[in-house]
Amino acid sequence: MPAALNDPLEPYVRAALALQGYRFDEAQIAEIAAQFSRLQAIAQSVFDWPLPFGSEAAPVFRP
Amino acid sequence: MIGTAAQIAAQISQGARSAASVLADAKALIAARNPELNCFTATTFERAAREAAAIDDLRAQGRGLPPLAGVPFAVKNLFDVEAMVTLAGAKINAGNAAAAADATIVSRLSRAGAILVGALNMEELAYGFLTENHHYGVTRNPRDRTRGAGGSSGGSAAAVGAGMVPITLGSDTSGSIRVPASLCGVFGLKPTYGRLSRTGTYPFVNSFDHVGPFASDVLGLALAYDAMQGPDPDDPACAQRPVEPVSTALALPRGLRIGILGGWFHDWADPAARRSVQLAAAALGATQWAELKHAEVARAAAYIITGAEGGALHRPRLLEQYEDFGPASRARLVAGSLIPASWVVQAQRVRRQAYLEAVALFDRFDLLIAAAAPAVAPRVGQETLLINGRSIATKAGLGVLTQPISCIGLPVCTVPVWPGEGETPEERELPVGVQIIGAPWREDLCLAAARTLEQAAIAEIRLR
Repeated sequence: MPAALNDPLEPYVRAALALQGYRFDEAQIAEIAAQFSRLQAIAQSVFDWPLPFGSEAAPVFRP
Repeated sequence: MIGTAAQIAAQISQGARSAASVLADAKALIAARNPELNCFTATTFERAAREAAAIDDLRAQGRGLPPLAGVPFAVKNLFDVEAMVTLAGAKINAGNAAAAADATIVSRLSRAGAILVGALNMEELAYGFLTENHHYGVTRNPRDRTRGAGGSSGGSAAAVGAGMVPITLGSDTSGSIRVPASLCGVFGLKPTYGRLSRTGTYPFVNSFDHVGPFASDVLGLALAYDAMQGPDPDDPACAQRPVEPVSTALALPRGLRIGILGGWFHDWADPAARRSVQLAAAALGATQWAELKHAEVARAAAYIITGAEGGALHRPRLLEQYEDFGPASRARLVAGSLIPASWVVQAQRVRRQAYLEAVALFDRFDLLIAAAAPAVAPRVGQETLLINGRSIATKAGLGVLTQPISCIGLPVCTVPVWPGEGETPEERELPVGVQIIGAPWREDLCLAAARTLEQAAIAEIRLR
């Protein structure tokens, strides 16, 4: 059974792949879902830092 | 050894060597050492011969020579080189048209008299800290052939570390100059974000992409950096700042306050990496600890932005040519292209806040130091690193100490330090680099501190 079927993020990954126009087989989807899970685990910490409400993004960064 | 950049330029200027003979030496070294290391993916010897002859003609006419006259250099193969296909380590680029002109900083080095001898191997599309390229092979470490050179600018670091050329160019999105410099034992400079032009450079993550030099000594690094500085309206991220030369002022000012980064940077440094920092700190008189409190979050932000921008950049080709991407990058790139916008916006807010924190730290310190890699070079194919009892994937873990810094664009000079620590005699012969981190635009202080460590024989290249 592909690992992706056990991944709670798999429905999001499938939907986002479809939205972006990708077509992959089950093994490829499993691999992508595994990579997305790693990104999601890392992403959690950027929401753990309570930033000031008005803090701005740095889309074009000029130190 | 071919000599340092300054030695070569002086010898040619004084007539002790000709540019043609230096080029012949470089070609012989490349022929002897490259087959085992796999640094070069292409050579430009015909062009180099023309440029060397032009330098020798200038001297014969009694005219003044430019500062890097006759110094051989090579570039990571993501820099445009006229009449050559820009590979960026990727098969998907192999069929592209050849570049019409050199990248801006390549042409600036050429104008300074340096002679381009070739293009260098890298991690595919600059996505990773190894140079174990699925299409173009592994670049091996000049100190130990069973180990990797690091990446993504692995060919650039290894070519200098093996003594083939005294200067190379690389790029650093998350650590791709600093990590391979650390693993190969060479000097590397990641300038402030926006300092050097990226025009004619294959992009990866616009928010983080930096370019910079590697060299066999600090003066070579500074000479190359000076030659490449200057505004470039064609690169929207390039700061429109005048040239601020550093190579004539490499003395460290008295009374500088140098902090040792603790917290995240100490926790993720193994005993060898900690020893490197300790040696550098002692030589620089640094005794105070400093902390970037949100380094871990800055690293996470870098991950998210890298995934999103890299994935979006390559999406059109991933849709059409997925199988032509290497297995180590294609699923990661697609996953990155699925990242929701709210994560990216939050990551960019984190980035701004982390930058403000770092700038505040520079009220108390002029420079900060930290290890450039968590450990010595891993073996080729090694999947995990064990750092102070914690296991981390090699591919991601090698950048754990560099990502928080490039995320906020600070200038860093990485110097090769030899800690003499390790479980085996072989490991005790390997370097771990030290990052000398400055406030924005203070490359001068980073390089001056590097020069101090070089003069104290704490930081040096060791050829094999």
